[in-house]
Parts: sequence; structure tokens; C-alpha cells
Amino acid sequence: MRNLAQLMQGLAGEWPLLLPLLVGGLAVWLLLPRPRPYPWYLGALAGGLSLFLAATLILRTSGVSPEVVLFYAFSGLALVGAGMLVTQHNPARAALSFTLVVLSTCGLFLLLGAPFLMAATIIVYAGAIIVTFLFVLMLAQQAGLSDADARSREPALATFTGFLLLATMLYVLKGYQRPGTVEELLGRTEAALALGSRDEMLPVVEPRQTDEERARNDRRLFKQAESVLNAAGLRDLARSAREAGEEWVVVELNAEAPADEKAKQSRQALEKLQRLLADHRERISERLTEARLPGVDDAEGRRLPAMSSLSGPPPTTPFREVRRDAAGRPELPAENSASLGRALFTEYLLPVEIGGTLLLIATVGAIAIAQRREPGRPA
Amino acid sequence: MAVTLHHFLVVGAALFALGLVGFLSRRNLIVMFLCAEMMLQGWRSTSSPSPAVPRQPARAGVRAVRHHRRRLRGGVRGALILMLYKRQGSLDVSLWQDLREADLDRTEDEEPLPPPPPAEQYPHLSPCRPGARPPRRREEPCLKPSMESSG
Repeated sequence: MRNLAQLMQGLAGEWPLLLPLLVGGLAVWLLLPRPRPYPWYLGALAGGLSLFLAATLILRTSGVSPEVVLFYAFSGLALVGAGMLVTQHNPARAALSFTLVVLSTCGLFLLLGAPFLMAATIIVYAGAIIVTFLFVLMLAQQAGLSDADARSREPALATFTGFLLLATMLYVLKGYQRPGTVEELLGRTEAALALGSRDEMLPVVEPRQTDEERARNDRRLFKQAESVLNAAGLRDLARSAREAGEEWVVVELNAEAPADEKAKQSRQALEKLQRLLADHRERISERLTEARLPGVDDAEGRRLPAMSSLSGPPPTTPFREVRRDAAGRPELPAENSASLGRALFTEYLLPVEIGGTLLLIATVGAIAIAQRREPGRPA
Repeated sequence: MAVTLHHFLVVGAALFALGLVGFLSRRNLIVMFLCAEMMLQGWRSTSSPSPAVPRQPARAGVRAVRHHRRRLRGGVRGALILMLYKRQGSLDVSLWQDLREADLDRTEDEEPLPPPPPAEQYPHLSPCRPGARPPRRREEPCLKPSMESSG
């Protein structure tokens, strides 16, 4: 009994995670097709409410930037399209909702910095596979309302299973989101640095700030810097980095300095921290990629010869030399597609050709399976 | 905080779970396969472009081979659906219940489907006799509309 009480307490403690899922599960269950369906606006209302709750409780962001707005737009569209795909009783409309999901997911790919993946997914999924499904739908016509479309198998159990899985996954993901990750600290450092201080703005533009506003900005910068530099996660990070053999410098803020001095110190401390964090992240990722990518160089360890720079960096470019933007991410490239093409035609030529042959064989097989046979002949 | 990897992972997980719900509950073969594709899409949206490990140009070739496999899957799946449809004459997956395990009961549909809406009734118009002229007076209409059934 005590375990049960502990379980209930644990569940109650996770209510920000569970509430949007409960409402979302209710929405999906209401909308699943039945011979006598519930009115659609009930499910739509519940769905909208669950999306809003998810945006405020689970996927919280601070600040309004193009990235945030686009993320909310694309993920909202993707989830709405997914809900429609699952609950539409007309299969042609379900196929179109799937197109909506694919297009929104490609927007998310673009936000993650994968332009080639976005383009290829749109071409392959929203282009070829949707058309394939619609053709199959045409060839396998159902006239009017049928068992296949108007009913669902075990709607309550299916919804419960799916959302139980989602709750488990989100709980595990939350465990990995704990502050102390490099990304979050970097984000907070950037937010703090973006506050601006008097010294930087003066050469560029005459600030129309009163003295109070300047003092307030400086105080905010100091507070932000304090909160970032004293974050518990940062100390853990520094400790683990020191154990791994890396050097981390301890930065201190002097609380008794005059206001100007405070702001300048904060700014310098934050910039130093930003460099350290970016280096650390690079080193972690480098180790990860090196561990996962055997055989980047050729047999003697030489780099493949560089062709013209127009076709992007060679695939064996070392990690540090890929062009990066200010945040440390590889720049969104034309280089991405160019280097992809280069890799396809130099390193991965054989797998590409084998893949093409497999495609051909699969096409022949698909035609053979789907061929119309005369009546009387064994299928 | 800005948009971090965690946010994208949550969206991918949600797409996966919704696809699972659809796959388990729908009865139309085509919609079931679309839901399976959406599960794949949700999984891929998190695994393929991952900012935690910035993309290496060298992984590009692996991704290209995966694109080939995706197209293979779509085509073969379509052929499979067509073959299943030809065997049964319907896209309902409940017709394949004989493939279930031996100790499970058949699931029967208890609630009947609503009756289809009655077909539209249009008035029948008898054609004109050959050589007929337009009427001079109202008493001799050429076309006699007769409503044989109430619409």
C-alpha cells in the first residue's frame, strides 16, 4: 500500500507533464471514428486546450525570437495534422493530413539546420509516398460508409496505450533536461549578454536611456551573470571537466565594486564562460563523432584531395575546420548539399549504386505483386 | 530558454505516440500504414538531424542510402496493400482476423452502421413527342413533369 501511495504522490508531482497528456488523450478518444460519433467540436476544443497546455507547461521557452515563433508554428501544425490523420474517417483526408505533418516536420528539420534532409524528405514523402498512397486508394475503392472507415478497434485502450507511452518518454526526456546541460547554460549566457551595457552601445548609437534605466540594465546584467555563474550545474560541469583532464578557470564576481565595474566584470565573465562552454561542447561532440565514425580518413590516414572549394568542404574535413557561426553551430550551408553530393559520388558511390539496383528490383517485384490477374487464374 | 534539443525531442515523441494510437485503433489498411509512416517520421525528426552532434559531412552518404530505403518501403508497402485488398475485396483489416492467436476471441461489431442517406430523387420528365410544337396556350404544355415519388 505504501508503494501505491508513493506512486500516486509521484504522479501528482508530475502534474505539469500529465495534464496536457490527459486532455490530449481525451481529445483523441473523442475524435476517433465511431458509428455514432461524438460532436467534433468537443474533441477539437479538448485538442486545442491540450496543445495550449503543452506549450505552456512542457515546451516552455522564454523570449520571442524568430526561432521560437517558427518552432511553435511548425510543431503546432505537426501535432494538429497528426491528430487529424489519426481521427479522420475519410482516408483521402487522412493522406492529406499526413502531407501536412510531413511539411511541418520538414520545417523543424530546417530549424535544426538540415536543409538537405528537409528537401529530400519533402520530395520523397510529401511527393512520392503520398501520391503512391492516393493511387492505391483509387485502385482499392470503398463506396460510401464502410466498416473500415467508420469504426475503430478498441479506441479507449489504444489511446491509453499511446499516451501512456508518451508520458513515459516525456518523463525520461525531462530527466535529461535537468539544468546543467551545456546548451541551457549557453542559452542563459547568451540571454544575459544580450542585455547590453552602456559601454557597448555608446560608440554605436546614442542611447536614449535615462540614468535610472542604465543603472537598472546594469543591475540586471549583474544579476543574470550571478545566476549563471553560480548555477549548480556549472559547478558539476567544471568538476567533471577537471576529472576528464580539462582546464576550467573559476570566475568570481565582486559584489562590492561600483556599478560600472560590476557590469564590465559581468560582461567579461559571461564572455569567458561562453567560450569555455563552446569549447567544452565541441570537445564532447568531437569525441562522440570520432567514436561513431570509423574510417573517416583513407587507409593511410591521409585526407582525400580537396576539389574546388565550390563543392564544399571534403567529407574528411576535421571537425574544427567546418565553418561555424557565432553560436558554434555549423553554418547553414549550401555547403551541406554540396558536401553531401561530393560524398555521394566519391566515398559512397558503391552503396548508392547498390541502393539503386535494389530499388529497381523492388519496383519489378511491386509490379508483379500488384498485377491484375484474369479471373480463374490462381492469384 | 531558447529552443533546445529537448523541445524537438518532445515533438518527435508526440508524433510517434500519436502514430501508435492510430496504428492500433484504425481499421483501414491505408490509414494504418500512414500512421506507421508517421511513427517513422516522428522518430526521424529527432534522430537524423541532431544538433548535439553537429553534422559531419561524412555521414551524408549514410543518409543517402537511407533515402533509398525509404522509397523502397513506400513502394513495397503500396504493393502489399493492393495484394491484400485483392484477396479480400475490402480494405478492412478486421477481415484478416483468422490470423490472430489461437486463444483470442473474434471481435464482432456490435453497433450497426447508420443507414446510408437515401439517394436523391430527381423528377422524371417525359420527352416531347416528335414533331411537337411549343404550346400556344397554357393548357397544352409539352413537358409534363410528374413527381412519381416524394423527394
